[in-house]
Amino acid sequence: MISVGNPIVERLPSPEAESRGFHRMERRMLRAQVAQAISSSRLRGSLIAILSLLLWLGLFQIVYEGFVFMRATLPEPIHEQVVKAIFNAFFFFLFGMLVFSSCVIMYGSLFRHAEIAFLLTMPIRAERVFLHKYRHAVLLSSWGFVLLGSPMLVAYGIVARVSWYYFALLLPMLISFVFIPAGIGAILLLLVMRLFPRNRTHVMVAGGALVLAFALWYFWSLFTQRESDLLTPRWFQDMLGRLQLTEQKPLPSWWLSSALLETASHAWAEGMLFLALLVANALFVREVAAGFAARIYRTAYCRAAGIGGAAGRVWMGGFDQLLSRSLGFLDPQVRLVLLKDVRVFRRDPVQWVQFVILFLLLVLYFINVHPFGYTVHVAQWISIVSFMNFSVVGLLMSTFTTRFVFPLVSLEGRRFWLLGLLPLKRSSILWAKFCFSMTALALPCSVLIFLSDWMLGVPGLLAGQHQWTSMLLCLGLSGIGVGLGARFPNVREQSPSRIAAGFGGTLNLVVSTIYIIAMLVLTTLPCHLYVARLIEPGFSLSGEFARFQMMIQPWLIAGTIASLFVGIFAMLFPMWLGIKTFSAQEFH
Amino acid sequence: MIEFDNVVRRYGRTLAVDGLKLTIPRGELFALLGPNGAGKTTTIRMLVGLLRPDAGQVRVCGIDCTKNPREASSHLGYVPDEQFLYDKLSGRELLEFSGEMHGLNAAALRDRIERESNRFELTGFLDRLIETYSHGMRQRLIFATAMLHDPDVLVVDEPMVGLDPRSARVVKDLLRAEADAGKTVLMSTHTLAVAEEISNRIGILHHGKLDFLGTLDELRHTLAAPEKALEHLFLEMTNGHVANGVKVQPS
Repeated sequence: MISVGNPIVERLPSPEAESRGFHRMERRMLRAQVAQAISSSRLRGSLIAILSLLLWLGLFQIVYEGFVFMRATLPEPIHEQVVKAIFNAFFFFLFGMLVFSSCVIMYGSLFRHAEIAFLLTMPIRAERVFLHKYRHAVLLSSWGFVLLGSPMLVAYGIVARVSWYYFALLLPMLISFVFIPAGIGAILLLLVMRLFPRNRTHVMVAGGALVLAFALWYFWSLFTQRESDLLTPRWFQDMLGRLQLTEQKPLPSWWLSSALLETASHAWAEGMLFLALLVANALFVREVAAGFAARIYRTAYCRAAGIGGAAGRVWMGGFDQLLSRSLGFLDPQVRLVLLKDVRVFRRDPVQWVQFVILFLLLVLYFINVHPFGYTVHVAQWISIVSFMNFSVVGLLMSTFTTRFVFPLVSLEGRRFWLLGLLPLKRSSILWAKFCFSMTALALPCSVLIFLSDWMLGVPGLLAGQHQWTSMLLCLGLSGIGVGLGARFPNVREQSPSRIAAGFGGTLNLVVSTIYIIAMLVLTTLPCHLYVARLIEPGFSLSGEFARFQMMIQPWLIAGTIASLFVGIFAMLFPMWLGIKTFSAQEFH
Repeated sequence: MIEFDNVVRRYGRTLAVDGLKLTIPRGELFALLGPNGAGKTTTIRMLVGLLRPDAGQVRVCGIDCTKNPREASSHLGYVPDEQFLYDKLSGRELLEFSGEMHGLNAAALRDRIERESNRFELTGFLDRLIETYSHGMRQRLIFATAMLHDPDVLVVDEPMVGLDPRSARVVKDLLRAEADAGKTVLMSTHTLAVAEEISNRIGILHHGKLDFLGTLDELRHTLAAPEKALEHLFLEMTNGHVANGVKVQPS
């Protein structure tokens, strides 16, 4: 290494000065972005803020009702245990997901981003470059974490009537927690990239498969028991016993859970102790990760950058041929653009790996639905749970179209010299993207819903209706995603996630959610009420909903017919809007 | 000074750079030529610390680029072939960031920014966001960033891409002036006329090997083609009309 007293090294900035330089640069970029948003897109910014707030309030309301219900129905000791188990399990699984997602995020930012090649050619410490990207990964992770986790924690605080300092400490607790899995993910990534640069994908996939296999086994063992025990005190005790894995004291998720619960129960000193534990460990993990980066990041980067030859080769593959043949009914030009999109998407794992994880988790959950044995206890639960599952699949599909389908047109912006000069109608390009979205959505959507229905033993009528609605959902969501993507393109941005996070993407998410709710209300809800009556003849709507009892059958018939028109409208109208804008679009 | 000492670099089974031995002294403008895939960019990326050699050593001003990349890069100014700039910074902010990372103090930074913005005619738009710059403006800003800390060694990958004739003239004069002032300049280019016009020596890389190393006159002499332009000589050399191993050692 460089000896102390070297004049060149002494002239270079200290670690603190480097850090200040990076912070200043980031502040300046943030200020420019905020100023731009305020001056040119005030409406967009306000809409994003309002929609995010609505999403937060919606989540809050659902969780709040859940906590109120639990408090009202469970005796105090059991209630306390259940809340503890929920917190521990929630943060435990979130911890695992954060490790994995930070691994994926940091792979993209540390090893594939053009900025790194710029920074590494300057006399900047490798660990500073690493920390710059690490902070970004933590920000990205904590944004979603805070948005999804805070409604639950605020709702719990209100229901449990906690002191003000519980709310004041929420954010520091959550953020210090996020640093830990992000740091562990970063260390794992650096080690994999250093030790297995050539086989990094295989190692990561194998690691992911192992974690998934463990999760599968754990879920299975969690819910496998005699159906007759379901929801009995013995079942609760048994379940709590099986969740002990998530209550291990060395786990950061347990520290966070304990910090929150101690603070909520007015034991602020204990809460502060756990917060201190989280902060200390967050700092420790950050230091270890930075130490690893100082030693191996540059080498790992150089090794990864040097992978070529056979590893860089791509193949046409049987899948493409099969897809091309099976889409033979499409216009050849549309088919070729679609195949191009499929290849580009498939060869960029950073794009789709998180979606695959989410998809597999849902499969995991659906496979585990069966052991609950709903048929034995409350027959209507079949209908309720399958309805909830269907809604979840719909919402997953809407996030998929927002994240992957909506940016497709924007991403063509810089490549438009190619498509724009081909003897190709611009509308064909959009229809190709629509078909791409349909191809990618229809099969997983149908399979997930079939799996859920099959495991629950849902009656044939309901299962058929689910398949019908899922196809309409795919049709509408694809139309909305492609159409709005063309109507509100962002051709300057190259990152799909940033395109999706903008105004158009947010609008796409909101319109998709409204569309899903409309389809659920039109077809799935009346069908479930109808089937619930078939399963349990004594079933009737109660309270203020009783007056809808007689309307279920006409609602079902009219809703099914209306859903067809709504689905076609949801597909055609945004596509028409998109084609109109895209045909007149100029690409600079 | 730049030294490649028996440098070997592979991509999987492909040999990108094969035993490169090359020394570029102070005060020389060296043009690295070669067809696509010859190994020029790999050579440059090893020099600037983005790749490491599988064998051999790369040194800048006597500093090993693999062992001491930070120290080596403090002597380097690098103009890459692919532009990366922070779109949400202004030109001045980017120059300030780069200068700070090279350890320039506030007063020196101010003077250097003034100097480079005048030299590359950036003054009028230095305080505008980079995202509003044209390709040529961005290229000039990259040059200014590379020159800001007065590097001993300037490495330029395809310098003329996207530059208008006036900017191209500025860059050519700059590269020549830097070499005349005792700096070392390594330029990789496909624009043979530029290499012919301003370089002291040229090297022709082909399949990772340095097939020729010397002055233009020496190349003409080797190929027995006096009066021929570099383009003709280059095509003859890389089309295989000349047997492998024809090399002219530097004097």
